[in-house]
Amino acid sequence: MLERDHTVVTINGREYLADPGQNLIDLINSAGENVPQICYNESLGPIQTCDTCVVQVNGNMQRACGTKVEAGMKVQTQLPQVQMAQKEALDRILENHELYCTVCDYNNGDCEIHNTMAEFGLEHQSRPFQEKPYNRDESGSFYRYDPDQCILCGRCVEVCQDVQVNETLTIDWERKQPRVIWDNDVPIDQSSCVNCGQCSTVCPCNAMMEKGMEGEAGFLTDQEPGMLKSMIELTKKVETGYGPLFAVSDSEAAMREERIKKTKTVCTYCGVGCSFDVWTKDRQILKVEPNAESPANGIATCVKGKFGWDYVNSEKRLTKPLIRRGETFEEVEWDEAISYVAKRLTEIKEKRGADDLGFISSSKATNEESYLMQKLSRQIIGTNNVDNCSRYCQSPATKGLFRTVGHGGDSGTIDDIAKANLVLTIGSNTDESHPVLASRIKRSQKLFGQKLFVFDLRKHEMARRADRFYQPKSGTDLVWISAISKYILDQGLEDKSFIEKWVNDFEAYRESLQPFTMEYASELTGIPKEELIEVAEEIVKADKVSICWAMGVTQHMRGSDTSTAISNLLLLTGNYRKEGCGAYPLRGHNNVQGCSDFGSMPNFFPGYEETTNDEVRERYEKAWNCTIPKEPGKDNHQMIEAIHAGNLSAMYVIGEDTGIVDANINYVTEAFEKLDLFIVQDLFLTKTAEYADIVLPAVPSLEKEGTFTNTERRIQRLYKALDPLPGAKPDWEILQLVARELGGDWDYDHPSEIMAEAASLAPLFAGVTYERLEGYNSLQWPVAEDGTDEPLLFQEGFPFEDGKAKFFPLEYELQYDTTEKYDLHVNNGRLLEHFHEGNMTYKVEGIARKTPNPFVEVSPELADERGIREGAEVKLISEAGEANGWVTVTERVRGKELFIPMSANGKSAVNLLTDNRVDKDTNTPAYKEIAVRMEVLKEEGKSPIPSNNHRKGNPVPQYSVNVENKWERDDYVFPGDQVNKDG
Amino acid sequence: MAKSITNIKRMEIPREKQHERDLQEVKEAVTENKEAILQGIKLLKSLNETGTLDTAYAFSQSKHKAMKYLVEEISKDHYAQMLENLPEIVFMLGDVDMKSVREATVRLNEGIQEMNSTDPEQKTSILDLAKALKDPEINRSVTLMMQFLKGMGRQ
Repeated sequence: MLERDHTVVTINGREYLADPGQNLIDLINSAGENVPQICYNESLGPIQTCDTCVVQVNGNMQRACGTKVEAGMKVQTQLPQVQMAQKEALDRILENHELYCTVCDYNNGDCEIHNTMAEFGLEHQSRPFQEKPYNRDESGSFYRYDPDQCILCGRCVEVCQDVQVNETLTIDWERKQPRVIWDNDVPIDQSSCVNCGQCSTVCPCNAMMEKGMEGEAGFLTDQEPGMLKSMIELTKKVETGYGPLFAVSDSEAAMREERIKKTKTVCTYCGVGCSFDVWTKDRQILKVEPNAESPANGIATCVKGKFGWDYVNSEKRLTKPLIRRGETFEEVEWDEAISYVAKRLTEIKEKRGADDLGFISSSKATNEESYLMQKLSRQIIGTNNVDNCSRYCQSPATKGLFRTVGHGGDSGTIDDIAKANLVLTIGSNTDESHPVLASRIKRSQKLFGQKLFVFDLRKHEMARRADRFYQPKSGTDLVWISAISKYILDQGLEDKSFIEKWVNDFEAYRESLQPFTMEYASELTGIPKEELIEVAEEIVKADKVSICWAMGVTQHMRGSDTSTAISNLLLLTGNYRKEGCGAYPLRGHNNVQGCSDFGSMPNFFPGYEETTNDEVRERYEKAWNCTIPKEPGKDNHQMIEAIHAGNLSAMYVIGEDTGIVDANINYVTEAFEKLDLFIVQDLFLTKTAEYADIVLPAVPSLEKEGTFTNTERRIQRLYKALDPLPGAKPDWEILQLVARELGGDWDYDHPSEIMAEAASLAPLFAGVTYERLEGYNSLQWPVAEDGTDEPLLFQEGFPFEDGKAKFFPLEYELQYDTTEKYDLHVNNGRLLEHFHEGNMTYKVEGIARKTPNPFVEVSPELADERGIREGAEVKLISEAGEANGWVTVTERVRGKELFIPMSANGKSAVNLLTDNRVDKDTNTPAYKEIAVRMEVLKEEGKSPIPSNNHRKGNPVPQYSVNVENKWERDDYVFPGDQVNKDG
Repeated sequence: MAKSITNIKRMEIPREKQHERDLQEVKEAVTENKEAILQGIKLLKSLNETGTLDTAYAFSQSKHKAMKYLVEEISKDHYAQMLENLPEIVFMLGDVDMKSVREATVRLNEGIQEMNSTDPEQKTSILDLAKALKDPEINRSVTLMMQFLKGMGRQ
């Protein structure tokens, strides 16, 4: 505060207090002085290309955005020569950009060129617009580039290089006429562009534009190219001077408001929880527009969130309930479907008891829907047999955190990960599974000196960028984590005061680490001892350490233990309770966190209160006027086993393609065949639905309201962008129809009422209300009754009786390895552009044309050994089953390790190979422990990855846009100097 | 034993039933928006009577083509002056003192009314003119017009 007192800056004669080191343009803006600025955007920082924010500082003309404030600085923004310099800069922009606003699809009230010119009051152009010698690039799937309209502000380059950090775009300042180029000047479609779409988001005009907008946004923009040209000429004739032009185009923009609906929603493609506005015209999606206010992502998106919504209008959507009759499904009316469901559920319950039924919620559905599913199961049917698909991925991480720190969620926010000095990712292909979060790490590492250590089998994008990259042998992470913990203790480098004050069970933990010597760890993991010691020392040295982990840790037989070991290490080094630190199990689906939070778990009520706790159970029994069994029910895995054992004959599954995503799908689908009643609720006739007795057509996130909870424990509202497709209904409405038919007195008119009920019963969400979540507002649980939330957990202590965390002792035994017969290890995971099993993203044409096929990644060594090349066809055989696939030879994998994307389906589905091994503590399938042998069917063929896939591109890394190269051009004079020269 | 199946037998809604449903839907919409629809009918009626409806229909049928012709035609050189004039006219409107124009218009209207009420065949002699100047209404008009002529001639 003291320092700030001294930073007094005078702007146009008035004094202002600035933050030390503050950017001058920010100060000018907060002072409410009007200075034009086109390349400057708060989310991107200064780029210094457009020169329009010229001001006079202590007598010299300079760019405000390129100036840091200093005490005593005197700034003038309105002097005649300053205004002349600004006008010169604006004129230069209009030499590069033709104003035909009324017939431009970008004329939606938010065109920054239009608005800047109008605000500046520019009436006439001094020099005419000049066409550029380049054609439009329309080669890509999702956006196009129009060099003629491009003002070379470089925002797209900035966002690509330093925000998304994909490093595809640059501006070639050396050419006679500079332009934005992709890689080493290839068409968009042939480049390394991952289609995150952020260039089109930040473009201040119509140069980089989403293809969905073209010819759709305006009333007059839907024209043939030649015609459009004539109309542009005409508008220019009629609209002499910019005043009338702006008046006409502003009116047209206002008319568009009536026609284009902008609805805030939350993305469903991973746990990061990006929020943005969806622009729709009837059922057509024009574009996705992120908002600087979006709490998790700001202006960032990935290809799926920005462009992956075609599936919503897929012709394959179900629009009538289906009942199995003989060998076919018959479409029926809702009345018939609901009474069928109720009748059959009642029959089975009466004949075989409530525990003969099982319920599986969806991690893609809303919190409110998860709440209703467990209420249906517990109140109406009377069983705790309710679970959700986090069992397939995230339960072990939750378990590890419950054991040690008491809350099963990320300890802080994505901002904390970005602020850490050292980030460790373990078993996480962050760049493809959580792209927007990965970009935050990539940015911090590239620009702010953050260190990144990656532990993974595959040399993926994050590994390629890491400061250190280690490839421990599959399933041995617990060993090296424990070994470095032991080393830290042995050297006396632990955070003694933190442990003293905040952690119990230290001695037992110290004892448990005895077997984990460096030698043992080195032998099991394959990482040399010296390197492990170095990791230990770096962790101790770093002030703030965050550890992110994902399925590479959890989907093992010791997934829970390994997660626990991570948390132990963080406790040992005092990396909880402060900014930039903590444990981050990266949740895979949009609502993996929330689905478990809101009670779709066999042992927990909403807010992780145990069914065995009498006080809690009585609370729900009283509120719901029913009796609830005390003992935990069956989880997903146990339900499938129970079907085979004859103890479960009815199942109700919402939005989950269990028949593809569960491990050992042959075993799972055999179970489905044995069910007496199988109810499936989904958008499509999925592989799982094919086994159903009745299929109820549900709606996707864009067609309903509700809330999702992201990986940061952040609860966010989604609004209805589209009406439900006629015939389909939101899951919560369907559940309510079923419950009422079964005699339940449910009466919810809106999801907010469901949330109100959940908040009144679960203390973890006591203060959650829809009003507090309005628009882009969000809450991170726990939320106290007065609405106070906890972005950074454990500030007041850990949620155990004495407020202290616990060390949890562990042991280890190697249980999985390849064998002589099954000599190859199969790894699997996500691809950037496909979600999960792909039943949504394969329906997005622009994605399917670039990534149409599944593949098997094979290392160059193994390819040589087996005599196969790119495009070979192979059969993989495990103890559980077999799958076919096409080979791509890549250094992303090494030695005898293979990788199959989980979006592989049909005969390539990876779960044809997985078996019934599970994490010993949570029954999460050990998807990552598959040994196979490989038979070669064909030695070579067409590559399964087309040449226009981004994996085949060649990025061109640099910092920002290299504006210095612009300044060095012979034809460049700084507008401030130009004005001085011209007098 | 439920095997995996993919056949879907689509619900065939008899045409009459679908017809009935659609009709019901429309009926409900009509009842809910009675006022607006009645107003709409009035509007349609008047558009029809003036022939505007026909033109609008024809235009909407060939919007793109019509637009093309229009733009092509209007882009020709001899319209250039007119197009440039359009905004000028708009600016001119901005300069006109509407309050005074309105007052003058009221007078003008009364004059026209009066004019229409007399026989156009009737002749006026010089003497009649001199006599008429004594009529206070005519005198006020002539004075006003002389003032106007004076103002118009001002440099």
